[in-house]
Amino acid sequence: MQSVGNDIIDLRAIDTQRSNDSRFYTKILLPSEMALYQRPECAHITFEHFLWLLWSIKESGYKYLKRGFPGLVFSPLKIIIQCIDLPAGTVVKYFKDGQWEGDVTGEDCYKGSCIFENNIFYFKSKLYAELIATVVSEDENFENTQWGIQTIDHADTGHQSKEVRSFFLKRLNAFIPHNDLHIEKKAAGYPVIFNGAKELKLPISFAHHGNFISYSFVSGYC
Amino acid sequence: MDRQAILEELKKVLIPYTENKQLLEGITENTDLLKDLKINSANLVDVIIDAESKYDIEIDMDAAERMVNVGSCIDVIQEKMKH
Repeated sequence: MQSVGNDIIDLRAIDTQRSNDSRFYTKILLPSEMALYQRPECAHITFEHFLWLLWSIKESGYKYLKRGFPGLVFSPLKIIIQCIDLPAGTVVKYFKDGQWEGDVTGEDCYKGSCIFENNIFYFKSKLYAELIATVVSEDENFENTQWGIQTIDHADTGHQSKEVRSFFLKRLNAFIPHNDLHIEKKAAGYPVIFNGAKELKLPISFAHHGNFISYSFVSGYC
Repeated sequence: MDRQAILEELKKVLIPYTENKQLLEGITENTDLLKDLKINSANLVDVIIDAESKYDIEIDMDAAERMVNVGSCIDVIQEKMKH
């Protein structure tokens, strides 16, 4: 499936008390996923950050799957995270610069695989002190997958939506210069990109939460 | 409880998760929680838990999946209150 998905969580906007409430997290995590938290590699992250890391993987997976299953409703327990590998010597840093953009392949990330029915796909996630961001692809190596994360000054939905589109188009211009690019949303809810009247076969994904926005796309389809 | 009474109570459950509170004034059974009220998907889990507490019911995964608009939320709450 030619698709991509991404998600971002502003950790300053989450409800810590609720995140640690078993009625909440058992609606998101399966027992097999809870068991991943017991591994020594997860010792440096709090349970609520672990929970939102897995949420961001599942939400990214849902966005990825939506292109193949337009009628799909997000049901976190049906997207199953099979494994998580952590980069060696992980230290959680601050997202100081306000912006990060790049190619996913070379990044030191949390990574692993997920399954939904018979579809296997892969994730890479970045965890900072203030945010968690995830990107998902059918390609384990994330060849040509581009990713961007940015801080914005205020958190209302209209502003987030406008800012993430502008941030993405600026980056896309490096791949498709001097064109008449604009974004529309399909009835199923995922975004598509047009060059003039022509819809491009370039899977894109946007995310926003609190004071952060992010995009991902596969430049191989440019 | 009839559907209108549940709808009025449901509005109170949705208030903390709806950015534009004015949208709640005009809700109908067809109002979509994500597309119309712009509730984010993580907050849908909060809505389910708050509804469970308010009506003393348990909403399983299959029922939660159906709760995409106000009408289907009322269906699920009514069904679960009968059990």
